[in-house]
Amino acid sequence: MKVIILAVSCLLAVSGALAADTCYQDVSLDCGQASNSLAFRRNSLPRCNAVYGEYGRHGNVATELQAYANLHLERSYEYLLSAAYFNNYQTNRAGFSKLFKKLSDEAWEKTIDIIKHVTMRGDEMNFDQRSTMKVERKNYTVELHELEALAKALDTQKEIAERAFYIHREATRNSQHLHDPEVAQYLEEEFIEDQSKKIRELAGHTTDLKKFITSNHGQDLSLALYLFDEYLQKVA
Amino acid sequence: MKAILLALAGLLAVCLPASATQFYYEVDGKDITGVALWGVQDRPVKEPGAPYRYLPTEAGHRFGFSHVNPVTIPKEWVTMHRNCRMSVRQQIQMEVTASLQYLAMGAHFSKDVARESVKLLLTNNVPTPALLAGAPASAASVSFRFSIPFRCSATFRCSIPFRCSESFHCSVPFRCFVNRPGFAKMFFDAASEEREHAMKLIEYLLMRGELTTDVTTLLQVRAPERKTWEGGVEALEHALLMESAVTKSIRNVIKACEDDSEFNDYHLVDYLTGDFLEEQYKGQRDIAGKASTLKKLLDRHGALGEFIFDKKLIGIDI
Repeated sequence: MKVIILAVSCLLAVSGALAADTCYQDVSLDCGQASNSLAFRRNSLPRCNAVYGEYGRHGNVATELQAYANLHLERSYEYLLSAAYFNNYQTNRAGFSKLFKKLSDEAWEKTIDIIKHVTMRGDEMNFDQRSTMKVERKNYTVELHELEALAKALDTQKEIAERAFYIHREATRNSQHLHDPEVAQYLEEEFIEDQSKKIRELAGHTTDLKKFITSNHGQDLSLALYLFDEYLQKVA
Repeated sequence: MKAILLALAGLLAVCLPASATQFYYEVDGKDITGVALWGVQDRPVKEPGAPYRYLPTEAGHRFGFSHVNPVTIPKEWVTMHRNCRMSVRQQIQMEVTASLQYLAMGAHFSKDVARESVKLLLTNNVPTPALLAGAPASAASVSFRFSIPFRCSATFRCSIPFRCSESFHCSVPFRCFVNRPGFAKMFFDAASEEREHAMKLIEYLLMRGELTTDVTTLLQVRAPERKTWEGGVEALEHALLMESAVTKSIRNVIKACEDDSEFNDYHLVDYLTGDFLEEQYKGQRDIAGKASTLKKLLDRHGALGEFIFDKKLIGIDI
């Protein structure tokens, strides 16, 4: 009796399956086999996963997203070193240190967020993945002066923002295989808007500081740096 | 003529974005003038009408461009000794490495299904029989997909010993548990915590007058060594091993800072003993407790046990 019920239910299951119901088919096929085969193949429902929209099958959006997490990770620790440098007793610029610490914290949080997003789309994280977008970048040095460090931060934020543009472009290509509105939306919402604000802020800082340093025949230099650091302590 | 000018302008436009990243070395704009700046610093004065120059960073430093000259402060108060300093620096790197390894754990348990792509390297002869039991070396990747009784933990050990004559990727169904948001959260939090430990040590060095030079070389970010775990228990046990190694390393830092014949660094030793070791021991106890509870749960109820334990970790009581 039990066997008949099983057979009927399997028949129903198979007949009800549509072509698109691939996971459903995987599950249904298991009905036809001995129950211990299900135990053996407990991870063998190959089409029951979170991958949709051909994520990771074409183009490089999936790998770029992994590389984007790695970019944030590296920059986060570089910013941390800059924050440390500006907090030693000789530089002693608490405001600059705070600015870099904040950049570091943000990049770190984004790293974790992107990793979660990569796995949300059914992919796995690859910490060795690097972007195909070639950017020339010399080794990072944190032992810079105030204005140089700000400028470096601005460049780095632009690098991160432009990478987001690049991935967005890959994700919005007009091809049925490459179009991935979910990634595009994620980048727009979580990165692109904030990045533009951050870049504007840093650009403003460099403009101000440069003016202070150079105006009045450079006489204001030391006071300008001191005051600007005090200012950064308040706003950064 | 116009065409040539246009082409030149185009060329300039193309070049500009590339040089834009270097603008901070630049001495530009008429009213800035190297004159005023360098004059203040007693540096060479720019001749009126001479072209503005791009100064590379090093030159920028030399000419005292846009920064205050360093001042000298008495250094008697900077008392950390070399061995102690070096061991703290190494400890910072160790905390960073641990943070990256925890990130990989978080990433692993965030996955929806265990779907590892493993590069299998085959020699012409049949390699290690244990690995390919039931699968001839000539089998296509797809056909032995289900014939390898793989365990998650075996992956990395397996792929190493083969001398490669032919290699291909194959998707191996691991019997490991993923889709564990509770574990993922725990390990992501642990990663952030390790990062904070590194920051605490950096703060300490700064307080003691260190890190005025060689800051860039303090740490390196390298991809974590291990990427998959068989399940919660194995990951917890790995975490416990890692924490033990960190604890041992902190003890070695203490030793290095205490045993210096010229300078016993009481304060750092106290800080490490009171703050760091305390946290390490508490953390280790916590992980060990979790591991044994989970292991006991798994004794009879493998899949269900880990599921329930995982939900407990994100605060859902079932």
